[in-house]
Amino acid sequence: MAESILELTGIRKSYGRTEALAGVSLAVQPGELFGLLGPNGAGKTTLLAILAGLSGPSSGDVKLFGQPFGPAARSARHLVGLATQDLAIYPELTARENLRFFGRLYGLRGANLNARIDEMLETVELKDRADHRAGTFSGGMKRRLNLAVGLVHRPELLLLDEPTTGVDPQSRNHIFERVRALNAAGLTVIYTSHYMEEVQALCPRIGILDHGKMIACDSRETLLSRLDTVLTLTMAQPTDDWLASAKTLPGATSAEWIDGYLRVGSTDAAPLLPKLLAMGAMPTAIEVKAPTLENVFLSLTGRALRD
Amino acid sequence: MPAFTIALKDLRLLLRDPRSAVILLLMPLVLILVLGLSLGDAFGNNPDDRLQVSVVVEDAGLPSKVVAREPIQEKPTGALLGSVSYAAPMARLHPPTKRWVDVMLDDLKDTGNIKIEIIPSRAEAERLVKRGQRSAVIVFEPEFSQKIDRCSFVGAEFRPNPISPLDRYGVVTDRVGVTVIENPYQPIGGSVVKQVTQVSLMRVIVPWMIGGAFDLIGKPLFMKKMEGYIPGFSFLPADMRASVGLGIRKGIAAFFGDYDFTALTWYGLTKDAPPDVKAKNTAEYTPPPTGLGRGAKKYQILVPSYTVTFAFFLVLTVGWLFVAERRHGTMVRLRAAPITRGQILLGKLLPCFAVSAIQGFALLLFGKLIFGMSFGAEPWLIVPVVLSTSFAAVGLAMFVAGLARTETQVAVYGTLLVLLLAGLSGSMMPRELMPEWMRSLSYVTPHAWALDAYEQLLHPDSPAIDWATVGTSCGVLCAFGLAFSLLAWWWMNLE
Repeated sequence: MAESILELTGIRKSYGRTEALAGVSLAVQPGELFGLLGPNGAGKTTLLAILAGLSGPSSGDVKLFGQPFGPAARSARHLVGLATQDLAIYPELTARENLRFFGRLYGLRGANLNARIDEMLETVELKDRADHRAGTFSGGMKRRLNLAVGLVHRPELLLLDEPTTGVDPQSRNHIFERVRALNAAGLTVIYTSHYMEEVQALCPRIGILDHGKMIACDSRETLLSRLDTVLTLTMAQPTDDWLASAKTLPGATSAEWIDGYLRVGSTDAAPLLPKLLAMGAMPTAIEVKAPTLENVFLSLTGRALRD
Repeated sequence: MPAFTIALKDLRLLLRDPRSAVILLLMPLVLILVLGLSLGDAFGNNPDDRLQVSVVVEDAGLPSKVVAREPIQEKPTGALLGSVSYAAPMARLHPPTKRWVDVMLDDLKDTGNIKIEIIPSRAEAERLVKRGQRSAVIVFEPEFSQKIDRCSFVGAEFRPNPISPLDRYGVVTDRVGVTVIENPYQPIGGSVVKQVTQVSLMRVIVPWMIGGAFDLIGKPLFMKKMEGYIPGFSFLPADMRASVGLGIRKGIAAFFGDYDFTALTWYGLTKDAPPDVKAKNTAEYTPPPTGLGRGAKKYQILVPSYTVTFAFFLVLTVGWLFVAERRHGTMVRLRAAPITRGQILLGKLLPCFAVSAIQGFALLLFGKLIFGMSFGAEPWLIVPVVLSTSFAAVGLAMFVAGLARTETQVAVYGTLLVLLLAGLSGSMMPRELMPEWMRSLSYVTPHAWALDAYEQLLHPDSPAIDWATVGTSCGVLCAFGLAFSLLAWWWMNLE
């Protein structure tokens, strides 16, 4: 296994008596597209601030490319790119001026900088608006520029915090494609979002943070396998004996009658359906619903409202 | 150089922000313009100038036959007796080229702390007083010389057609052809001018009257009068009477040895030397300005005062820069970049300093071009004053920016602070009008030090620049800037 690009060990972060992170450990491999999920107040923002070097942990170690990383490690900052949830661009500057300014901050100069600016404008499809002030852009265009600013200095690790908030479907799709393309080109990405389907679609490995702890961190498939596929048959009400027999079918984990529907949980629905039909079930409609990341997320974090 | 990168970016943002241009350049110019038009021409004049005495000279002098007249005496009966000329010396007092008004003006010019301004006509004087541009004007009427010439302690028995000009209050101006045109709304100024007139008239008239009276002593008319008071005096032979007359005259002169009754001038009477201050105490009359009144002294105060006041309005601009950086989320990017906190703060400080310096030079330049303000004898010395003021302003602005978190806080706290400092410092009104303790208190503000330096450099009547004052002011302003910057460095939270 390749050396981790990022390695967190026992990260704790407290603000007074409030413990925002309570011992988070995580390793991200080079070229990985890692999804980070968590309800509001779970500690995602705090964790991202530590990953970006904006603040240090109260305890624990952060290593970037095997080297200790934190607010004091300024030379390693150029390895990290950041696209924040809140737009972080100057509305009074043009797209090109925004890119030039942040490129210069990271040490890019001259032809190298100009070429990179053009490349980024091309990447986020803002070349024709390059010399317009960012304040005149639509929400989607601002998001794309925000992404470009985070990439202009060619980082090795890109932190994307809710990169599609408030954008139209076209821009969202564009950002998706860009992230995929960048990842395919070797860029390591940590992607946080409230849109579960985005993370499920993009990220092969996902961590779920809640109450400052990483309560789950695994491959997408493993996380999804935590929940059953639900087979729902619309049919006449069965007898209690029949329902009891259905529960004992191999592969079935549950069977219950709810308001005219027979709902059977299963780790594998395909072989179960013929067996139910063989038992005499006469459904008028059949629905097979595989578990989603949202189901997994809610099952892990609960349905109670968060601040 | 990340600090320069940030500085250039912020300079670009400042130049694109119309609020900065309005607050830092347009507002002070408008205020200077409005105040300049609203304030009278007296504003900005120092106390010495406010004792200016304006006069109208209508005096036609003496008729040539009177000027060329013979001494008022009978045929000379003797030459000199000691230092006393027996021959009446009246003719020497007013040669044909000298009018009594000129004697009067010489006396006024000899008086310290008074400036004489000659107004060309009574009509112009009345107009100036009516408009409140002068509190009072002295008019020497056409018969002034003739009337002074007739002033006498002795009656018609001894000299023809005499005038008695004195009463219990001093000189009765109506009797000697002097009118004082007063503005009823400026009674203090009018009283001062009237007192000055009285004193000067006394100094001119009294020696003349004493000289005229003393000249008669021992003369035949005098001796004739004595016959009624000294028994047997009329029986003395004529040559003895003349000797007695000369003896009395000499005796009186010796008795009042500290005075020269024949001098005919006050300093001669008191045996003192006349002060040589005429040129300094004479002012050319310049017609009251119209429109902007370019070059008026008020702009020598208004322009630097508001330049200093609005230098500190930089607090708003810098505060908004920091708040905008947080509001736009770009502060997070700056903090995530491979640059230090010091580079971020320096990057913020540099453009603000540049803007402040540009503002200072621009306002002073506008002051010269638009309002005709003088740059004084050493214009180059304005440079360090502007730069040190800017440093102090930028330091304070950085400190306030570190305290305020929102645009509203910047606007409220910043404006309050700037106005408070301006009020304390004397930027909003001449410090001469402030009580002594407030003047001392004003030095807790950087503004007051800047104003001290500008007062030295820009005052057109300043005899010489006090380098120590200018240097001290610049040094204190830099110390203010450093202290504020250190406080900002210590207090500023970029998160």
